[in-house]
Amino acid sequence: MKIRKFNRTLRKTSKYNDFILIFLTLILIVFGVIMVFSASYYSALSKYGDAYHFLIRDGVFAVIGIAAMLGVSRIPYRVLRKFAFPFLAAVVFMLLLLFTPLGKTVNGATRWLDLKIITVMPGEFAKLAVILFTASYLTNGRDKLKKAGSVIWLMLVGGLIAGLIMLQPNMSTAVTVVLIMGSIMFVEGLSWKWIGSLLAIGGAAGAAIIIKEGGYKLQRITSFLHPFDDPMGDGYQVVQGLLAMGSGGLFGVGLGKSMQKNLYLPEPQNDFILAIIGEELGFIGIAALMVVYMLLIWRCINITLNAPDRFSMLLGSGVTAMIAIQVLFNIAIVTSSMPPTGVILPFISYGGNAMLVCCIGIGILLNISHYSKLDREE
Amino acid sequence: MNKDRAKVNQITIKNRKRLLGAFAFILFIMSVLCFRCGWWQIVKGEELADTAAAQQTRDSLVEAKRGVIYDRNKMELAVSGTAYSVWVRPADLKTADSANKKEDLTSEVISGLSGILEMDDDEVRESVTADQNLIKIESGLSKETADRIRELELTAVELSEDSKRFYPLGLFASHLIGSVSDDNTGLAGIEAYYNRYLTGVSGRRIQNTDVSGNGLSYGFEEYYAAEDGLGVVLTIDEVVQNYVEKAIASCQKKTQADRVMCLVMDTETAEILAMAVTPEYDPNNPREAPTEAEQKKLDSMSDKKKVDYWNKMWRNPLLQDTYEPGSTFKLMTTTIALEEGLTSPSETFYDNGSIDVSGETLKCWSDVPHGKQTLEEAVGNSCNPVFVTLGLRIGKERFYNYMELFGYDSITGIDYPSEATAILQNEDTAGPVDLATMAYGHGIAVTPIQLATAVSAIGNGGVMMKPHLVKELVDSDGKTVRTFEPEEVRQIISKQTSDEVCDIMEYVVSEGGVETAYVEGYRVGGKTGTANKPKAGGYSEDTYSSFIGMAPMNDPKVTVLVIVDSPVGIKYGSQTAAPCAQTIFKNILPYLGIETQYSDDETEKIEKNKTTVPDITGLSYKKAVSALEKAELKYKVQSGDSSGDSFKVKDQYPKAGTKVDKKSTVYIYGSK
Repeated sequence: MKIRKFNRTLRKTSKYNDFILIFLTLILIVFGVIMVFSASYYSALSKYGDAYHFLIRDGVFAVIGIAAMLGVSRIPYRVLRKFAFPFLAAVVFMLLLLFTPLGKTVNGATRWLDLKIITVMPGEFAKLAVILFTASYLTNGRDKLKKAGSVIWLMLVGGLIAGLIMLQPNMSTAVTVVLIMGSIMFVEGLSWKWIGSLLAIGGAAGAAIIIKEGGYKLQRITSFLHPFDDPMGDGYQVVQGLLAMGSGGLFGVGLGKSMQKNLYLPEPQNDFILAIIGEELGFIGIAALMVVYMLLIWRCINITLNAPDRFSMLLGSGVTAMIAIQVLFNIAIVTSSMPPTGVILPFISYGGNAMLVCCIGIGILLNISHYSKLDREE
Repeated sequence: MNKDRAKVNQITIKNRKRLLGAFAFILFIMSVLCFRCGWWQIVKGEELADTAAAQQTRDSLVEAKRGVIYDRNKMELAVSGTAYSVWVRPADLKTADSANKKEDLTSEVISGLSGILEMDDDEVRESVTADQNLIKIESGLSKETADRIRELELTAVELSEDSKRFYPLGLFASHLIGSVSDDNTGLAGIEAYYNRYLTGVSGRRIQNTDVSGNGLSYGFEEYYAAEDGLGVVLTIDEVVQNYVEKAIASCQKKTQADRVMCLVMDTETAEILAMAVTPEYDPNNPREAPTEAEQKKLDSMSDKKKVDYWNKMWRNPLLQDTYEPGSTFKLMTTTIALEEGLTSPSETFYDNGSIDVSGETLKCWSDVPHGKQTLEEAVGNSCNPVFVTLGLRIGKERFYNYMELFGYDSITGIDYPSEATAILQNEDTAGPVDLATMAYGHGIAVTPIQLATAVSAIGNGGVMMKPHLVKELVDSDGKTVRTFEPEEVRQIISKQTSDEVCDIMEYVVSEGGVETAYVEGYRVGGKTGTANKPKAGGYSEDTYSSFIGMAPMNDPKVTVLVIVDSPVGIKYGSQTAAPCAQTIFKNILPYLGIETQYSDDETEKIEKNKTTVPDITGLSYKKAVSALEKAELKYKVQSGDSSGDSFKVKDQYPKAGTKVDKKSTVYIYGSK
């Protein structure tokens, strides 16, 4: 009883409620900074002549991210509802801005808005916008999903955002956005009829593309099953990642001792950082990281389950989906379990926008947890 | 309304079920992915780790430095220097971030390399885009070229240092020294025969590298040092070789022969002092023909023909080919007959122009019969019937036994690859006519080195030595590792026979018909030979005109064999090979420190040409000049104004009392 009393006191006095969520997030962020430093050390040295190039930036991103998380957690989630549509409009506007000279093209893809001081990835913020919009729209009336018009309207909005992102091109973010929206609709209670027919339409569209493009496309898509068939071509990064993971074995070669980061694996601090973690810390390290992610996801779902109302529940579902989808995709890509596309490992991969968006998501969940029914039901 | 609102805000069981279902789904996928990681890291781990290690470590050869080839006075004839190779890592170009950039980088590399290396763009592209980790574009580049490539800072292009063979003297003794292939393995000559000593043992360096092959400060590294090759000190004397090459080159020009070859041997030790064939090829570019016209011909040949051409060009005919010795072989017949007591230097023979053997008439080369002549004179006249007589006296069995004794049945064993040996007629089927012709050097083919070795044995008191080309092996500090001492093969004839044959040879040169080889002050002896070259089914009009000689004949120190292949015009050895040998003797005998021995006549002739420099110091210009003119000397004023009255000779060169040649110049140093 005393402990419970203490807990309640703590909860009342504290503005950030779910300590477990904060704790797990901080573990991931700190671990991420360490791994980014280790993974980027050699390439930073050879590219910029400064081994700390990525460490310093990633440290700054981490601090901004944590600050944003704590800041957002103090904004009552109900307030966010008012911003759902303007934020979506702003994101669409930013996505359109990419087609102006403000858009910065790197490696053939225009994903960044160069605002001189900072670069912004509208695609990342689109994830948040879609979460907010979907949750807000679905709670704007009763049983929205029972009306076909609402479902189609949501699909149109989602399709617009995803389509704009596809134009960058950025397939992985587009897919993520669509899946986030789908997840929220799923939790809200989209009927199996809808789910079945949507899957059927998706499957048919996929089949149509394959028939139209011929076997080549299919081969491209399934080539991830045999990454070593073309080690110097499309599969180069995946193969180098697998070589890193394999070198790590069960216990890893030791922190900082990766060989694959010595320019064999391009940009080891980005999407393929898991491979370097696998090489340095071994299967044990990866498994431990998976456990931490599962705990984090469980904690997010737990907060969502106990959310005070439908809007916050859907909001929580969206944030949880955003994090879970990216974690699973990233691991699947690095282990060559799905076709390679660029998906970051949340809280760990180098990148300011992704870090900020994930942290804001956690901040929203923290705020929801403040109004959680966890204690009320006692 | 409120109720409605509450219902909208209420979380249903369905929502919770779906959330838990989603979590179960995530957990399931995560578990699958966990197994997937285990698959790669544990099940496939070892295999992947091996593959990774293979790309992360570089096992590079540390090339041993090839040993130097020196002449007997440690002059460098072949050295190993540093050359550079250009490599490209096609993989580095493929990992570029985008297709455009990839193409940009690739064309930058191609245009950069093809420009500097003067190669075809397509050729370079083929290498640069090859499906290989690392590919060599070109090797053997100079430092300047390598620096120019380095300055371009091309992606994926690397330079490596390796050793290249340089022959500082260029077209010099190339048939003897040989050359090396691109990977520094001896192709021919000494380079091939002594390859295992010259090569050394290469070392290895195994190290962790980054993707560009740069070593890492943390990764492991193992280094096994290379053991440098040994230096080879030849018996060749660079100066003698130089004289020989000059002499045979001018001989070839004079006689318009296909080629001229020469071999100079130390008579007492059978060390080869010089060995040359015209035209020499350039061992720095062993696949280049010696002249532009020849190069054009070579370029148009098929690959197989080219190989044949190169093999012919690199061939050393002095050791690897036979030729018909002709009359030089009469020295053998003479020696055998004298040794066996079948004749004596004073025996007289009568030649009427031909001799009958078993019903066949063998004619002498000369249309005018030689008539009565001593053995000595017969050698000088090179009178065939006399040697037929001697040959028949010796008989077939004894003749063949001597051929064996003189070493014509086997190679001499000289330290050179693929040595050839003489072709004798089959002893069982050879008839009297065959024996008779062999006795004057026809119908028999020997290698030049075999003849020179046998003749040297005659000059060496009858002791045959094994010819050799290498004196010693030295390590990189110049310390002798192994010495090859002169090796005695056997005593083939008595000292007395040796002396008698030497006297005959000296007679031949000094008064017996081959005065074209005579060198004043040195007792040169020798014998010429002219033999028609065999062709399919008979003999051609072309000849091998040769001369073999030694000096000084009272104690021979050097043996010189000159062979002129197919001279145009006068074909006699005495007019083609002997003058060339004379030039060689004249140059090398003083160089080798062989003392002059003048005959009385010669001394008198020389004395007559000398005069004593008068003392002119202190004299006026006029008086000094008249004194010098009286002594048949020229003069030159080096200082002072000779037109002035006060001119007095202060000094002179040469000094008074010096014996000088008439007409030489005396330098006058006068006062102002």
